[in-house]
Amino acid sequence: MNKPFFSFSTVAFIAMIIGAVVMTYPYAYMVGSSFKTRREFAEDKENLIPPRFQPAQQWAHAQGEPSALDWPGADWSLWRNYVDAIRFGQIDRYLANSFIYAVLITAVQLFFNVLAAYAFARMEFAGRNFLFTLLLATMMVPPAVLLIPNFLVVRELGLVDTLWGVLLPSFAGAFGIFLLRQFFLNIPSELEQAARIDGCGSWGILWNVVFPLSKPVLITLGLFTFMGAWNMFEWPLVVLSNQDYYPLTVGLSFFRSENGADWPRIFAASVMGAVPLILLFLVAQRYLVGGISLSGMKA
Amino acid sequence: MNLRRRLVPYLYIAPAFALTLVFSFVSMGISLYASFHHFDAFAGSSAFVGFDNYRRALWAPDSYFWVTMRNTGLYVIMTVVGVIATALPLALLCQRAPRGQALFRTLYFLPSITPGVVIALVFYHIFGVWGQLLDKAHTALPALALLGIWAGAGYNMVIFLAGLSDIPQHFYDAAKVDGANRWQQFRHITIPMLRNTLVFVAVMTIIGSFQVFTSVYIMTLGGPERSTEVIAYTIFINAFAVAGQMGYASALAWLLFAAVFVFVLVQMRVFRSRKVYDE
Repeated sequence: MNKPFFSFSTVAFIAMIIGAVVMTYPYAYMVGSSFKTRREFAEDKENLIPPRFQPAQQWAHAQGEPSALDWPGADWSLWRNYVDAIRFGQIDRYLANSFIYAVLITAVQLFFNVLAAYAFARMEFAGRNFLFTLLLATMMVPPAVLLIPNFLVVRELGLVDTLWGVLLPSFAGAFGIFLLRQFFLNIPSELEQAARIDGCGSWGILWNVVFPLSKPVLITLGLFTFMGAWNMFEWPLVVLSNQDYYPLTVGLSFFRSENGADWPRIFAASVMGAVPLILLFLVAQRYLVGGISLSGMKA
Repeated sequence: MNLRRRLVPYLYIAPAFALTLVFSFVSMGISLYASFHHFDAFAGSSAFVGFDNYRRALWAPDSYFWVTMRNTGLYVIMTVVGVIATALPLALLCQRAPRGQALFRTLYFLPSITPGVVIALVFYHIFGVWGQLLDKAHTALPALALLGIWAGAGYNMVIFLAGLSDIPQHFYDAAKVDGANRWQQFRHITIPMLRNTLVFVAVMTIIGSFQVFTSVYIMTLGGPERSTEVIAYTIFINAFAVAGQMGYASALAWLLFAAVFVFVLVQMRVFRSRKVYDE
């Protein structure tokens, strides 16, 4: 039996590298373009590298030949587009808004979910299974169906164009309750019984025994909730009209329509919008990957 | 004391339940009500019209409902086929790659943690550079699907990797002893054992892409020639950009819900979860 020249794992490795290039190309395009001037971007949309970093351009410029480095703006600060995106597009404010929304949604939703999941996992009460099924049934409803009526409810509550209008519908999450209940059910009840003998009530047991044991699943769920809240677009687009309250996603879309021609600036704003979650992901990766396997287990 | 103890569980579930009640069940009630009315929330007017909104969507000669449903269906099919046809091979390759698995997983996962608006803005330009894909009626929808596939491949690769790692190695060992080649192993061990994961990925991708909105809103606004007008976008435009169409938009939303619901029922019947091979 003759051994093939390329082993399967070598082919796999090369294919994965090609795939990685495909996955990262749009990011390279975005970052590269964000450092170009408008003219540089208009003249060459395919080269990812800004002219000031291209050796051929630098060489031509040094020889005194005409090059892209003669165009106006070539000597501007590298970060000009970023500074302009903040100065003229208040991207910093949108980022702060997104951060506030995502933190509040995550904190409140986790708190409510822990309470409900604990009751469903550990307490006996009339209608428990019925109420739990009812809660799970809401996962079947596509958000697109709820968009209009949720807007009407929020309008009825007088919360259109307010912080609470954006946040309130996101404070509940049936999936989180489902996930946490499954986790709580697997915690050995002997621990709780020991605490009960020591005189702990259900509130004390929840926060002193169950909560500390659930930290990994809470971190995973919290990260997913945070990412979902950071990326939400359609709901704030519908609820908000005051531009000062826009989260990053809506702000970017608005910034784009205001700066239609200035794409390098739009890309600079996009980079600022993408970076925070990527940093969060790099720090918390192991919890996320574990969490995906967790959600896949529902299958 | 006894009464208090019996009330406690309800207090625990009250906040989450009240919110769900209002923003799912009350909401759906309002939506159903609106769908049977000529409804204008901004003018505060509402007149009962029976099934007119539904009739208008389904049968009126100037209705774009079937156009948007066709677009949505085509988008869903292209996306789900594309996602599975990329994510599964990627998972198999990633599993075999001698090194760099963690790095690959990180890079492939990037689209899942990037706001959809950012992705759409970048691809708007990339598709422009690639020959104005978004300006032609026959390429715009496939281009949007390509974006959907690009964005979904890495996430689902991670799900497939988890599914693959659950297949006991001794199945493959036994097959090798019997002289099965790589394809036969894939066909008779990997695919049947991954069945539940495959169904999960397909269902989640289909439900998600049924509701595609952001890329359409940012990149095409439904054009050119309505070739990318999908149902979620039509609902949004009718409800919030056109005056007095909220009842009609609500009827559209219920038709979308019905489509998703029927799909889920059919899927549950066809792919009833079952054990493939006993250990």
